Amino acid sequence: MAVLDETQMREGVDRETVETVQSMAGTYKHGWETEIEMDFAPKGLNEDIVRLISEKNNEPEWLLEWRLDAYRRWLTMESPDWAMLNIPEIDYQEQYYYAKPKSMVEKPKSLDEVDPKLLETYAKLGIPLKEQMLLAGVEGAEEGRKVAVDAVFDSVSVGTTFKKELAEAGVIFCSISEAVQDHPELVKRYLGSVVPQNDNYFAALNSAVFSDGSFVYIPAGVKCPMELSTYFRINAENTGQFERTLIVAEKGSHVSYLEGCTAPKRDTNQLHAAVVEIVVLEDAEVKYSTVQNWFPGDENGKGGIYNFVTKRADCREDRAKVMWTQVETGSAITWKYPSCILRGDDTQGEFYSIAIANNWQQADTGTKMVHLGKNSRSRIVSKGISAGHAQNTYRGLVSMHPKAKDSRNYTQCDSLLIGDKCGAHTVPYIEVRNASSRVEHEATTSKVDDDQLFYCRQRGMDEEEAVALVVNGFCKEVLQELPMEFAMEAQALVAISLEGSVG
Amino acid sequence: MMPRAKLKAQKVEAANALLDGRALPQGGAWITRARSDAEQRVRDMGLPTKRDEYWRYTDPRRLTSADVVAGALHDTQGEAPAFDAFDRVKLVFVDGVFDADASDPMALDGVEICQLSQAAMTDLHWARDIYGALEARGQSPVERPLASLNTAYATEGVLIRVTGKPAKPISLIYQRKSETSDAMVHHVIRVESGAEATILENGPFATRFNQVMEVDIADGGTLHHIRAQGRDHERAGSAHFFARLGAGSHLKSFTLTANGALIRNDSVIWLDGGEGSAHVAGATVGDGAFHHDDTVFITHGAPRCESRQVFKKVLRHGAVGVFQGKILVDQIAQLTDGYQISQSLLLDEDAQFLAKPELEIYADDVKCSHGSTSGEIDSNQLFYLRARGVPEDTAKTLLVLAFLAEALDEIADPAYAEDLRARLEAWFERRG
Amino acid sequence: MLEINNLHAELEEDSGVKILKGLSLTIKPGEVHAIMGPNGSGKSTLSYVLSGRDGYEVTEGSATLEGVDLLEMEPEERAAAGLFLAFQYPVEIPGVGNMTFLRTAVNAQRKARGEEELSAGEFLKVVRAKAKELQIDAEMLKRPVNVGFSGGEKKRNEILQMAMLEPKMCILDETDSGLDVDAMKLVSDGVNALRDAGRSFLVITHYQRLLNHIQPDVVHIMSEGRIIKTGGPELALEVEENGYADLMAEAQA
Repeated sequence: MAVLDETQMREGVDRETVETVQSMAGTYKHGWETEIEMDFAPKGLNEDIVRLISEKNNEPEWLLEWRLDAYRRWLTMESPDWAMLNIPEIDYQEQYYYAKPKSMVEKPKSLDEVDPKLLETYAKLGIPLKEQMLLAGVEGAEEGRKVAVDAVFDSVSVGTTFKKELAEAGVIFCSISEAVQDHPELVKRYLGSVVPQNDNYFAALNSAVFSDGSFVYIPAGVKCPMELSTYFRINAENTGQFERTLIVAEKGSHVSYLEGCTAPKRDTNQLHAAVVEIVVLEDAEVKYSTVQNWFPGDENGKGGIYNFVTKRADCREDRAKVMWTQVETGSAITWKYPSCILRGDDTQGEFYSIAIANNWQQADTGTKMVHLGKNSRSRIVSKGISAGHAQNTYRGLVSMHPKAKDSRNYTQCDSLLIGDKCGAHTVPYIEVRNASSRVEHEATTSKVDDDQLFYCRQRGMDEEEAVALVVNGFCKEVLQELPMEFAMEAQALVAISLEGSVG
Repeated sequence: MMPRAKLKAQKVEAANALLDGRALPQGGAWITRARSDAEQRVRDMGLPTKRDEYWRYTDPRRLTSADVVAGALHDTQGEAPAFDAFDRVKLVFVDGVFDADASDPMALDGVEICQLSQAAMTDLHWARDIYGALEARGQSPVERPLASLNTAYATEGVLIRVTGKPAKPISLIYQRKSETSDAMVHHVIRVESGAEATILENGPFATRFNQVMEVDIADGGTLHHIRAQGRDHERAGSAHFFARLGAGSHLKSFTLTANGALIRNDSVIWLDGGEGSAHVAGATVGDGAFHHDDTVFITHGAPRCESRQVFKKVLRHGAVGVFQGKILVDQIAQLTDGYQISQSLLLDEDAQFLAKPELEIYADDVKCSHGSTSGEIDSNQLFYLRARGVPEDTAKTLLVLAFLAEALDEIADPAYAEDLRARLEAWFERRG
Repeated sequence: MLEINNLHAELEEDSGVKILKGLSLTIKPGEVHAIMGPNGSGKSTLSYVLSGRDGYEVTEGSATLEGVDLLEMEPEERAAAGLFLAFQYPVEIPGVGNMTFLRTAVNAQRKARGEEELSAGEFLKVVRAKAKELQIDAEMLKRPVNVGFSGGEKKRNEILQMAMLEPKMCILDETDSGLDVDAMKLVSDGVNALRDAGRSFLVITHYQRLLNHIQPDVVHIMSEGRIIKTGGPELALEVEENGYADLMAEAQA
C-alpha cells in the first residue's frame, strides 16, 4: 500500500472496512467479561463511601472536601428530565462505586507487573488498532504512528504506555490518581474549573465518586509527539464507572486525544457518568475524538449502559481551538453534549458527530457553542441515524453573547430514518444577542433513499451492504474528521450497528 | 421539597391565588361545563413561569399578574387601519367588548355569525363541540394555561360557522381606547365541508389582551386567516390560535406584528385528515421596548399532508424576537412534507433573536427540513444598491422589505399582502 | 440469452394501471437489439421490471436469463447473474466515493459467483485503464457517485461500471438522453468495445441517432406495453423519417 497515493489509501481502508464488517458478523463484539479478582467498596452511596474512595486513592484533604461538597450538592439535585429519553428509575444505592482489580492494589511499577489477564482483555478488544500491543509494550507495534494509551478498567487506570518518551517532550500523561500524587498543584488549579461540581446532576455525582481517569498536560509550545488515547472498559457487574479526564493545553501547544469504550453484555443496566474537562490556552489546539461503543443492550432492549457524560472545553484565551469528534453507536441511553466555551477572542470550536441508535437504544446528544469572545467561530455537523425502535435526538445550543461581536456559527444537522418504528428529533436552541454575529442552522430529516439502494443492488450489493454504504456516505463529512484508525473502526461500527435494521 | 416539585407547587399556588373567589360567568349548561373544566385545568397546571420550557425566552408575569400595567394610547398619526380599503363584514370590539353600533349586521350569505354572549345563554349550540375542546386538546404535549384561563372567563367573542363560500371576508376589528383595559376574547370558527372563507383581524386590542381562536375545518374546507396586530407600543397580550384540519382541507394563517411591549402568539395546528395543508407565517418588526414571541406547534397526524412555517423578524434598539416552532410527525403520517424557516435581521447591536426550531419525527417516509438564521443586512447587497445610486436608507428599507417578502408571500390573495407590505414600508419610512 | 414471454406488469401504487401488456422478446447471445417507441409506451418500465425495482407487479408472463427465472430474484441476484442496467437517470449517492462504490459492487458480484475478490492493487490497475478509455479522469473517480457530474459524465460513469462488472446482458435505458454529439460518440465507443459473442445488449431509445453509433441487429417498435413491429436496422430509419404515428395506426388496424 505504501506506493499508493492518499486516495488509494482511503480506498484501501474502505476495502478493509468491508472485510472487517463481514468478519464481525452480527452482534456486539465486546460482550465477554474478564474473570479477575476484584476489590469492591460496599454497595451504595454515602459520605463514608466518598471518604473511602478518597482514602483508597491516598488523596489530600482538599480533594476529599471537594468530593464531599459535590456529594452534598448532589443530594439536593434532581436527575434532568428535559431530554427526550425515557430513563428508568436508577437506584443509586444498588451500585458499586469502587471496583479495582486486586492485582492493582499495589500499583504496578511497570507494565510487566500488570496482571496478564488484564492485558489479555485488551488483546481481545483489539480496538482501537494496536493499542493492546502498545499496552503490552511490544516494540514492533511502533512502526506506524505512535499512540500512547491510558487504559481504565472499571474504576482504575491499569497502565499508561510511552511515559518516558512523553516525559522527554515535557508532556504529562498519566492517570488522574497519579496526577493527584505527582502534580497536585496542576490538578488543584484546573479540576472543576471547566465543569464545576454542581454543573449538573451527573457531574455532581462524578465529582463525588470519580475513582480514576486520565490527566494530560501539554506544556507551552509543545506539539505532542504522538496521539494520546484512553481506553475505557466496564467489566465488573453492578459497577458504575465514573472516570474523570482533565486535559490542559498550555499556550501554543497541540494535542490529539482519542477515547474508546466497551463493556460486557449483561442483562442489567450499568451506569457510566464521566466528566471530561479541557482547558485550552492561547493559540493552543486540542482535538478530542471518541468512538463510543458501550454495550447497547440486546435486540429486545434488555441491558446496556446508561451513558450520562459531561464533556466541556474552555477556550480560555485568544485563538484557542478545540474540536470534538464523536461516533456514538453504543449505550442503551446516551445523554451527552460535548461543549465549547469560546471565551477568548478569535477562538474556534468544532463539533462533528455521528449518533446511531438501533433496536431500543435512546440517544439525546449534541453540543453547546457558547460564544463569549469577539470574532469566535463554531461549526456543528451532526448526523443522526435511527433504526429499529430507537429514538435519536440532536440537542444543541448556539449562544452569541452581546460581547461576542463578529462571531459566526454554522450548524448542519441531518437525520436518517430506517424503518417506521423509530424516531428522529432535532432540538436546537439559538440565542443571538448581538447583530454582527451570524448564525445559520439547517436541518433535514429523511429516510434512506430507495433509488440509491436500488442503484447499489442493481450493481450487485445485497440490501445490508447497500444500506451500510449509503449510511457511511451520509456520515462521510464526520468520518473524515477522525484520525485514520478511528475512521476505519467507525465505518465498521456504522455497518455493525445497523445490522438487522433492514429487510 | 426537591426543585421540580417546589416549582410545580408555586405555579399551582399562583393559579389558586388568581382564581379563588372569582366566579365563572353566567351561562347555559354547555358553556358552564366547558368553563368549569377549563378553570380546573388552570388550577391543575398552575400559571406559567419563565422556568417552563416554552417560556424560557419570554417572561409571562405581565400576562398573569392580577393587575394590568397601564399604557399610553398610540397616536397613529392618521394612518388608516389595516384592510380599510376592502369590502368586508366589520365586527368591532372596543377594548375587547363587542360594539354593535360600530359593527355591520351579522348577515352574509354562506356564513352564520353570533356573539358568544348570546350563544352562551342557550343550552345547546353547534359550538359546544369546539368551544374549549380544541384548547383542551392543545394542552398536550405542552401546557398552555393562559388559553384555559381564557376559556373559563371569556364572555366576549363571536361564533362563526362557514357553510358556503361567502363573497366578503369577515373582519374582526380590535380598537383600544382605554389605558388600563384588560380584555379576554374567545372566538370559535367552524368551516364546513367544502366551504371557504377569509377571516381578517386587526387592531391593537387592549392594554392587556388574552385571545383564543378555535378553528375546526371539516374535510375539504379552506380558511384564510390574516392578522395585523396594531401598532400600540404600550400593551401586552397573548393570542392562541388552535386549528384542527380534516382530510383535504387547507389553512393559511398570517400575522403581522409591529410594536408592543410583550406579544406572545401561539399557533397549535393538527393535520388530522390526509392530504391537508397548513401554512403559518409571520412578519414582525420591532423597535425599542418590544418583545415578541411566536410559538408554533404543527402536528402531522395523517399521511400526505404538507405544512410550512415561515417567520421573519426585523429588530432594532433592544427589540427581542422569539421563535419556537415544532413540526411533529406521528408514526402514521407517512409522506409528510414539512418545512420551517425562521430568520431574523438585527439592525443594530442591541437587538436579540432567540429561537428553538424543532423537528420531532416518528414516520420514516418523510421530507422535513428547517432552517434558522440570524444576522445583519448583507453589506455586499447594500453596497451594490448604493453603487447604483440608491441612498443608504432607501436601500436598507428595500432590503428589509425583500427579507420580509417570503412571509408575506404566504398570503394567498396578493391584495391583502400588498396592503400589509405598504404598511411595513410606511413603518420603516417613519423611522428613517 | 434473454427471453421475455407475454410479460404483463402494472404499477403497485395505483393498482390497475397496466404498463406492460403482453410483451415478448428473445435476444440471442452476442446480439444487439434496440427498442424504440413513443413516450409512455413502457420502455423504461421494461428495464425496471427486468432489473427488479420496487413498485411494479408482474401479473403474467415470464422473463429468463440463460434459462434462469429473473423475476423471482432480488435485484442483486439478477446483477450477479449478469444483468446490467445503465440507468436513464443515474442516482447520486453523496459521501460514497466512486471507487469505493465500484469496488464494493465488483467484489459483491465476484463473491456471489464464488470468485475471488480483487485486491486493491489489481482493482486500481483495471479501473484506471478502463477509465482512461472513457476519458474519465482520476478526479472523477475520487468524487462521490454521480454527485455534481454533468449529464455526459454520468452516462460515461455508467459505461465504466458496465466495463468493470462485465455483465452478460446489458440494458441501456435512454443512454443517449442529455448527451451532446461528442459525448454520445464516447459512450457509444465504450459500448461497442464491449460487444462480444457472449454479451447481448438491449438498447432502449427514443431516437434513431444513437443507433448510428451502436448498430443493432434487430429493432423493435414498442407501443402501449407491447412490441408492435420487429425488423432490421432499416426500421429505425423509417421511424426517424415518418414518426411513430403510422406504425401505431398500422398496429391498431
